[in-house]
Amino acid sequence: MKKTLLSCALLTLGLSSCKDFLTVVPQTERTTANFYNTAADFNTAVVGTYATFKHAGLYGNGAGSLIWLGEVASDNTEYGTPRTTTSVAAYEIDDLNYSLANTYFRDAWLGHYQGIARANAILDHLPAVSFDAALKGQYEGEARFLRAMFYFNLVRLFGPVQLLTTEINDPYGTASIGRSPVNEVYTLIESDLQAAENTLPATITAANQGRASKWAAKALLGKVYLTEQKYALAGAKLKEIVDANVNSLMPNYADAFLLTTSFANNREVMLAVQYKGGQIGQGGNFYTQWTPFAANSPDFGFTNGPGDGVNRPTTSLIAAYPIGDARKAASIALSYTNTSGVVVAEPYPVKFRQTGIIKGESDVDYPVLRYADVLLMYAESLNEQGQTTAAAAPLNQVRTRARLANTTAATQTDMRLALEQERRVELAFESQRWFDLVRTNRFVPVMTAVGKPAQTFKMLYPIPQRETDLNKNLTQNPGY
Amino acid sequence: MNSSFTRIWKVGLLVLSLLFPFAPAWAQTKQTVSGTVADAKNQPLPGVTVLVKNTTNGTSTGADGTFTLTVTTDNPTLVLSYIGYKSQEVPVSGRSQINVSMEGDEQALKEVVVVGYGTQQKKDLTGAIATVSGQDVAKVPVSGLDQALQGQVAGLQISSSSGAPGGNTNILIRGVGSISGGNEPLFVIDGFPVSGAGVGNPLNTINPNDIESIDVLKDASATAIYGSRGSNGVIIVTTKHGKANQSHIQLDAYAGYQEIAKKIEMMNAQEFAQFTIDGRNNGYLDNTPTTPTFTPRITDPNSVRPTNYRIPTALLDPSSLGVGTDWQDAIFRKARIQSYQVSASGGSDNVRYAVSAGYFDQQGILLNTGLKRYSFRANVDAKATKRLSVGISLLPSYTSQDDLPFAGHYGSFGVIQAALAQPPNVPVYNADGSYGSTVPSPEAQSVSVQNAVKIANEYKNPSTQFRLLGNTYAEYAILPDLKFRTTFGADLNFFRSQIWTPSTLSTSAATGPALAVARRGESINWLNENTLSYQKVLGQHAINFVGGFTAQRETSDALAVTANNFPDDLVPNINGGTVVGGANQGGNSPAESYQDYTILSLLARANYVFHEKYLLTGTIRRDGSSRFGDNNKWGTFPSASVGWRVSDEAFMKSLRVVNDLKLRASYGLTGNNAIGNYRAIGQLGNNNYIVGDALTPGLGRSSFANPTLGWESMKQLDLGLDLAVLDSRLTFTADVYDKRNTNMLFNISVPGATGLTNAIVNLGEVQNKGLELALTTRNFVGDFKWTTNANITFNRNKVLAMSTDAEQIFASANGQTANSNVTMRGYPIGVFYGRRQLGIFQSDQEAVEYGAQPLARAGDVKWKDIDGNGKIDDNDREVIGNPMPKYFFGFNNTFAYKAFSLDILTNGSVGYDIYNGMFALNNSGVQNNTQYVYDNRWISPSQPGDGRFGRTIRGGRNNNAQYSSQYLFDGSYLRIRTVTLAYTVPAALAQRIGLQGARIFATGANLYTFTKYQGYDPEVSTAGDNLLAPRSDFGTYPIARSYTAGVSVSF
Repeated sequence: MKKTLLSCALLTLGLSSCKDFLTVVPQTERTTANFYNTAADFNTAVVGTYATFKHAGLYGNGAGSLIWLGEVASDNTEYGTPRTTTSVAAYEIDDLNYSLANTYFRDAWLGHYQGIARANAILDHLPAVSFDAALKGQYEGEARFLRAMFYFNLVRLFGPVQLLTTEINDPYGTASIGRSPVNEVYTLIESDLQAAENTLPATITAANQGRASKWAAKALLGKVYLTEQKYALAGAKLKEIVDANVNSLMPNYADAFLLTTSFANNREVMLAVQYKGGQIGQGGNFYTQWTPFAANSPDFGFTNGPGDGVNRPTTSLIAAYPIGDARKAASIALSYTNTSGVVVAEPYPVKFRQTGIIKGESDVDYPVLRYADVLLMYAESLNEQGQTTAAAAPLNQVRTRARLANTTAATQTDMRLALEQERRVELAFESQRWFDLVRTNRFVPVMTAVGKPAQTFKMLYPIPQRETDLNKNLTQNPGY
Repeated sequence: MNSSFTRIWKVGLLVLSLLFPFAPAWAQTKQTVSGTVADAKNQPLPGVTVLVKNTTNGTSTGADGTFTLTVTTDNPTLVLSYIGYKSQEVPVSGRSQINVSMEGDEQALKEVVVVGYGTQQKKDLTGAIATVSGQDVAKVPVSGLDQALQGQVAGLQISSSSGAPGGNTNILIRGVGSISGGNEPLFVIDGFPVSGAGVGNPLNTINPNDIESIDVLKDASATAIYGSRGSNGVIIVTTKHGKANQSHIQLDAYAGYQEIAKKIEMMNAQEFAQFTIDGRNNGYLDNTPTTPTFTPRITDPNSVRPTNYRIPTALLDPSSLGVGTDWQDAIFRKARIQSYQVSASGGSDNVRYAVSAGYFDQQGILLNTGLKRYSFRANVDAKATKRLSVGISLLPSYTSQDDLPFAGHYGSFGVIQAALAQPPNVPVYNADGSYGSTVPSPEAQSVSVQNAVKIANEYKNPSTQFRLLGNTYAEYAILPDLKFRTTFGADLNFFRSQIWTPSTLSTSAATGPALAVARRGESINWLNENTLSYQKVLGQHAINFVGGFTAQRETSDALAVTANNFPDDLVPNINGGTVVGGANQGGNSPAESYQDYTILSLLARANYVFHEKYLLTGTIRRDGSSRFGDNNKWGTFPSASVGWRVSDEAFMKSLRVVNDLKLRASYGLTGNNAIGNYRAIGQLGNNNYIVGDALTPGLGRSSFANPTLGWESMKQLDLGLDLAVLDSRLTFTADVYDKRNTNMLFNISVPGATGLTNAIVNLGEVQNKGLELALTTRNFVGDFKWTTNANITFNRNKVLAMSTDAEQIFASANGQTANSNVTMRGYPIGVFYGRRQLGIFQSDQEAVEYGAQPLARAGDVKWKDIDGNGKIDDNDREVIGNPMPKYFFGFNNTFAYKAFSLDILTNGSVGYDIYNGMFALNNSGVQNNTQYVYDNRWISPSQPGDGRFGRTIRGGRNNNAQYSSQYLFDGSYLRIRTVTLAYTVPAALAQRIGLQGARIFATGANLYTFTKYQGYDPEVSTAGDNLLAPRSDFGTYPIARSYTAGVSVSF
């Protein structure tokens, strides 16, 4: 009776029920409640997940954690600034001497999980909405591809991590979830990529530049298998890409990275983080930020300098390029002429160079997966299966493009070192080196050789203190 | 429907069903009785309570001593009572007009108090409620009732953080309860809970002259009926209604002028020149190393000095300069204030009306600022049938306001700071009539401050607001004692504001880019209330019940856009340039903001009185709100209170000195729903990306949906005592309270694996505990009357829990660089936090020996090495001051002799600190500083100054001007708020000239403030409503002293 009374009263006010009356939806903001209803919503959500690449914990725009953890923490580059109280975190990475509160791997943790949460949200909501099956398959494939990539980075950086496959809606929802074993994380990564390679499109049109194709999924899956030392699976998967002949090396190494190559013509880059200048908040800062610290030079070709010295090539990297290697000049400038006309002998990367721009407003994209990497991984998987001779062919393909003679490596051991060397110079500044050294278990000897305090436990980064403070079940990696 | 949703109805109906058997269906007659109450000398007595005996049905007499009352009981007897007069019982005996003469000197306390959803006799109250009459509100010549309430009520702390006409006030009932939520009390105007929509201070839209009374609800017993909106206290405003058979027309008018109450004494041109020379010389020596080939000396000419230490050419010879410009005289003026109101009220037994039209015009004492208000009121009450009464009240108003950027840095056109900082050797106008200015800077070493008069003349920030608050009701007497009342009302606000900065106005160059901002908004707040009330007296049992449900919704839509790229200044609005986006200058903020909020409530209150001695009140409200998460949609807010009228006990009857003694206790739970709209809803943020080489919209979750997000919960205990002694010549009320706000809105860090880093949740705890004392004494009661009203409040605020024990929330007022205030566990909200000044180093030797400040020299500020590590840095900060007063008080006296009366209102606040961050104290020899700095700075060991201000130095390596306890000052003050002298024309004389009554008065407001504070006004708070950074002075609009005279005539 009371219910009726109230309902009657509400009806007189034109209200259907108290629940409806008490539910208001923002009209000038988008909410999680009024979203994920249409194909367009999912497209926007997928684009938002790709945008995670630009998180400070991934690639940022030139100074993201993956550049620090993948390059500066290796023997490839160093932080080229004076040591000050404000550069402590950066030098911890360069020195392999990590404090638990270091912001670079904290941001890597936060950024990758942000991307995972976005992918999970898409995968949670997708089944309930029906639209064009191919498009739906593409969005699902992209979400799975991205989730796999984010977990693959996490498991390689931190080892066992929290394994979350649905969106967390409770702020405390992960606060007691511990770390899942590495093999469980890999199981998810593999199944995501196996699904993605089936539903992602084979061809990416120019209008979709920046999105993942099935070939990108296969390349990533090949890298996952390789990292898991599942060499036969890796070889088979990578061979699919080679055999398909969709992707190929650019005739000139430098052309793979430069703007002068159109998207349609660039069959080498399989996935790249997309940048665009013009002060729309999407400009790249790789090249500009990697020029020498506090330096201005007409050589640099950009205004609003100076450089920041983020990723200065080490003498060891410069020496790694053999004589005649076409990649050296395309990757590194050894000096610059300052504004007073004096030549300063300080090296800086020019691989992603674009001139005539404002600092931080570059259009150059940053490669994440490219065909040269596929060829070298394919060679590695063959060599690890004992097919050292067969491994030479894909390796030589990369060397020939670099204007180098065929490899002389004949034994499995020599071939491993040849591949390590080739990957180093081929993929320099692409945030691969630290992961390669760890995958091949070469981190300790190589870093020790350049005088860094490398220890086995540093083949994983510590779990960020921010996270262990908020979750008592999150154990720390050994050694920290 | 939520099952517990109906629980209150069940309880309410249970109560009703228990009562119905006792409610005989008497056929009762209803009649209207009106009359006039006068004293023994036939002077009309206003404010006399007229009650029907053995009921709670009552009214009080108006200003002319008349009353009208609808009586429903058989053979009614009226009980008339008034403080200082003997109560009288007058049988109606069928009359409709009753004139009563009251005899003085007797026990009283039978006034009616407006409580939420009804009225109650004061003697039966068990909650802490204070009442202020409309007459007391109208005594103070100000734009809003908030300013008028200052000093009138214990526990109600009102400070005018700006002296601008209609400027912002901070209103707190029993302290600051919330860290991230709102702290303002709920305002209920004629039964309608309003919100702060519109531009500026929403209380400016109400004419204080339209107010009959204001009731301030303080404890949980009183506020729980407002549930999730009650925790900050409730202020109920009741406007004037008509009375039957007493039509009169009244004219109220006053006019006068205002002037700045206190100027800050600044250096004159000659002193400023010397000050600048000292600052540059000290800076030069401090920053220029002595080398084997070069020793810097103060005799070094500008040509060898770095720019910062050069002496501006105009100031090289102080003796050539005179007094110079007084920039405060240039921007402040004598400003008029005027208020006119015509009102008419009256009616018959069946229809009563009260209408008014008012005009209020207050120029600001600062050039080109001011407030105008056109206000109207129409209240009509009618008896449609014997059982049905209906009514409508309408309060339309139109307010227009001209503002300037008063506070803040002169670099963002802060006009007060621009006036104070400008070198006094600069003229207001040059010989050619152009504005004198240091913009653009005449030479590199000069300060660059725009002419404050130019800013005031050229910067435009007008705003207007139209508001219509309307409420209709119908009340149906189902039974004589059982009434059903339904209301429907709406509060409509339409507001607009503009900002225009012409290209001629720049803070750094001869011209700058013009900028225009336009804002438009509307808000619609509607309310429906349905209540059932029942009251009954049966022998020694008196019961009073009200229960009901209400629904309220507020929607608002505001547009705000910015335009720049103006080709010229010909069109001074957004149309003249290019619209670039939202109202933030970068154009990044959203241009449109739509807000929507609903609240649905069930409420009930029951009062029970036994033997007129034992009082019991129970209140419960259940609120559901769109602001709360889905799993926490409904909150229940119960309270209970008891009272014991000890004086009615037999053992007290013999104590004739005690006229009334009541003990009260209440405990209850209320809520604070001022947590913002949509906070429980997960939102998506823009995460755009490049796809296909084009910018492509992407979205990602930016906040959690928090289905459990709810109100802040306030638990409050109140113990009170009401005492009247010596024939009620002395009445006294005391309350002690302990308020605990828990489940506060908090932004916490969350595990990154969720995909987000922060979430808004409910946690933490803040305590306010305090003591309130209010005393009224009638010192003389004969021909010469003297009444004193005094109140004092002691409140202690403490943060008991944050999200973590170590958490510190830093805050500072806009424009302030330092994090001046902190909120952390164990301290009051927003305490001052920074370095502690130990003194001034008297010699280089002393500084060297101290060691912790290697760059300090003689005359530099010495700070405490709090962490004892031999080095002064950011770790050497501690709590250095408290912005909350130890106590605040009002002390008001009324003297009357025959037709003359004199009111003196004073109020004050004691034991709190103010951070004075004005340039006028920075002692750097750049901007002009106060005379105090000039006289008290350190010059040499033999002229050490006052130990607070060191040597004048620009760019000193010790950085003396940085925030520390050096810049905290005691804010304690005592203010003579108003003095009013009035003459009431004797009734006989008035009638001879055809008037019902007439009163002539003269008022002086803010006549003097006793304080040691250096700034304009110790009520300052540049941060306005941001109570995390209170009591910072970064240039405030000074308060005005006003002199007004007026008449009040009724026909």
